Amino acid sequence: MPLVQFAPLSSLVQPVLWHKLTDLKIDVLKLSDAAVPLTGSYTIGRTIKDRETGQDIALPCNLTVGAESFESDFKAPHGSVTAPGMLRNFNTIEEFKAVDKTALFNEEAQLIWDHILKTRDTAQLNRFFVITFADLKKYKYYYWFAFPAFVAKPAWEIGDDGWKRAHAELGIEQLTFIHSHLRNSASPYFLVGKDTFGKVKAGPVEDYSSFFSSTGPEDQLIGFVDPSADPANPGWPLRNLLAYLRALYPSSTSSIKILRWRDTEAPSPNAQWKSQIGTLTIATTTEAISEANTRPTAVGWEKNPQGKLGPRMADLAPMMDPSRLAAQAVDLNLKLMRWRILPSLDLDKISSTRCLLLGAGTLGCYVARALMGWGVRTITFVDSAKVSFSNPVRQPLFVFEDCLDGGKPKAECAAASLKKIFPGINTVGHSMSIPMPGHPIPNNPTSLNQAKSDVAKLEQLIDEHDAVFLLMDSRESRWLPTVVGASKKKIILNAALGFDTYLVMRHGARASSLTTGHDGKPHQKLGCYYCNDIVAPADSLTDRTLDQMCTVTRPGLAPIAAATAVEILASLLQHPDGLYASPPPPTTTGSANMDDESTNSVLGQVPHQLRGFLNQFRAMPLVGAAYDKCTGCSETVLKAYETQGFDMLLKAFNETKYLEKLTGLDKLFDESEAALESVEWEEEGEDDF
Amino acid sequence: MFTRDQFERACQVFAKKHSQWKWASARNPGYGYLMRTTTHMRKSFVQTDELAELVEDLEEGVEVITSADLASSLTVNVVENIVYCASFSVPAFYFAVHNSSGAPLPLNEIIQTSFFKISLPKDATSNDFALTVPSGSFPLLSQGDHPTLGAPWWYFHPCETDKAVGEFMKEEDQALCEDERLIRWMEIWLMIVGNVLNV
Repeated sequence: MPLVQFAPLSSLVQPVLWHKLTDLKIDVLKLSDAAVPLTGSYTIGRTIKDRETGQDIALPCNLTVGAESFESDFKAPHGSVTAPGMLRNFNTIEEFKAVDKTALFNEEAQLIWDHILKTRDTAQLNRFFVITFADLKKYKYYYWFAFPAFVAKPAWEIGDDGWKRAHAELGIEQLTFIHSHLRNSASPYFLVGKDTFGKVKAGPVEDYSSFFSSTGPEDQLIGFVDPSADPANPGWPLRNLLAYLRALYPSSTSSIKILRWRDTEAPSPNAQWKSQIGTLTIATTTEAISEANTRPTAVGWEKNPQGKLGPRMADLAPMMDPSRLAAQAVDLNLKLMRWRILPSLDLDKISSTRCLLLGAGTLGCYVARALMGWGVRTITFVDSAKVSFSNPVRQPLFVFEDCLDGGKPKAECAAASLKKIFPGINTVGHSMSIPMPGHPIPNNPTSLNQAKSDVAKLEQLIDEHDAVFLLMDSRESRWLPTVVGASKKKIILNAALGFDTYLVMRHGARASSLTTGHDGKPHQKLGCYYCNDIVAPADSLTDRTLDQMCTVTRPGLAPIAAATAVEILASLLQHPDGLYASPPPPTTTGSANMDDESTNSVLGQVPHQLRGFLNQFRAMPLVGAAYDKCTGCSETVLKAYETQGFDMLLKAFNETKYLEKLTGLDKLFDESEAALESVEWEEEGEDDF
Repeated sequence: MFTRDQFERACQVFAKKHSQWKWASARNPGYGYLMRTTTHMRKSFVQTDELAELVEDLEEGVEVITSADLASSLTVNVVENIVYCASFSVPAFYFAVHNSSGAPLPLNEIIQTSFFKISLPKDATSNDFALTVPSGSFPLLSQGDHPTLGAPWWYFHPCETDKAVGEFMKEEDQALCEDERLIRWMEIWLMIVGNVLNV
């Protein structure tokens, strides 16, 4: 005859339990690892239908611990029975690992056994315990459940015809009776028999010795609420019931009929009762009877999901760690944009773009804010100045305190500010100067080494980022990052402010790297900030008047320009050609060009340049072609930089005519000067754009 | 449309008829909600073996167990709440999904449990979720603050609920008493939710 196989219990922890354990540890337990009473519950086994195969899958036998498990007056939820238990929480993972698990297990098993023999009741038969370690800093909970069950030796066997349908033996009336009895008493174990009138009766297992006085042997049923939904195998709680019967009534329990109660509700008219009856037998030997009072060995540690004997872990950081919650909320907010409006938006492309902001002033602060709104996770600041008293009102990452004691360094202060806004941001500030043409490096080792390391630092920073924002307050400081960025094929966004005008543009990709776009047309040669210049950038900072030194602008201008720069980046990143995206053809009329959308990304156009005029509340898209004699991005300059490195840069910084000679602009200048000589012009002042 | 009192009344009578649902009262009157816990399964499960070093060599002897053991890691626990949404004056369906250890499931895994009826197109990046909304009857899934508990829960946006259920209510017997009407409203609404979820 086949051996009876038991379906094991599986722990099912509700998150509230971990919250309660945390509170308990902080308020009550503190460092104590003493046992705390815990009540679990389990229900009759359920099945669900697999959508794909249409088959019924038996759910595991779950022992649930949840919100009220620590309460002393725990009431089983409707349709379930309770199991008493205990929890021991250890203070370190080492203690958790080191505790003598076998000893602990045996202690619990002994407790159950003593209870059976001394009190003769079934209250502790389905007792369980769990050991835990709560890592409150990381919101991780390590735990290991055990459901001690006594091993029957020899093992129980079941009749060859196995578990039969209960309603073959019991009529609907009897089954309904049992069902309502259990509904009222919610007991995990019970007896079913017949009273003196032959009517079915049910009662507690503790009444075993007298219960079956008027019941014939065929009608004597020992029942239990079965968490197993597997028709072939009964649930774990049966084991200790069998051990109980063998210990207390060895002479009359070598063959018993077990009722596996598996009906939560009476079945609908088309369905059948699920409960089953089986006849279990056990071989009796004289030593078995005499050893009836010695505690059998017990098994029951829960296996981990890999099937090994080891603990489990609940990672509740996503729910409890506030930084994680913030990150999730930010992501969700962006996804709403995607779900509701633009399903083809690639948000990850934007949020994973590493942005380097050269300049942490008005433009830098607003650019950083807009980037964070897009979910960008890496923002690095470079600035050489300190926060001054006039800054906080126009530069939203700084506050009054940052100006005191000489002022905090802007780059680091901006980074710290970002972290306060969103802790999950990856941000660093670097206080450093960017060497520039027209500002010669003094010819001494210290200065030269400083310049060298500044250049190397800038090269490294540009290397480590995907997009570089040029947000400084001078023309010539943008030269070096333009050259390095073009050489490294990075996305460069440039923003510059006048009093009530702004320029925002993206630098064109390096001419030698242009091929064909997604639309089959060749990439356009787009220019950089310096492409329209006929002179090299020079010193524009010395001998300025006060109003020229601090870029005085209409306050609303910087946020507009900064936001525009970020949105151009967003649109560019969504374009299949990226850095090589074609701008919309320039319109000569004022109307927006909606016809030719082939150049657009999912967010719309990717302009090359936008010149804004705040006095007219107008922005004009422009396209500037790349100039082959440009001091910033022409192949001549880039090749010279790539072959000669710092030496070339040093010449650019120190020698006023070097770049013009290198690119051939000097000759052009001479030629055009000669042409100009022959014509009388009215000269206007140059706008510093 | 429900007032808060009507909502509470509807929940009480509904819970009486459908005993799986229980009323949970809150500190503030009118902020109570219906709750129910159900178990579901997920299709597949890949767990990192970070706990491998904690595995022990315990003498467990020859054990006769069944295969249901390994399925335990595929169990998910779903807590369902029916909460009053003040902005739309209707009940809203909130739920939270956890695995057997109590940890919450990310959205892409929730969709793949037996809790969800329709299978949605698989997406390359995780956490992406795009629902095609048949006009009118089916609201969008979002994550938001539970009105009473404050924690982030998943919920179906209730903007279309009133209209959708209203259509069905028109077909109902108008001679029902108030309580029966309320119960019927809830049942119809849950059927609509049931188009997408196994409730």
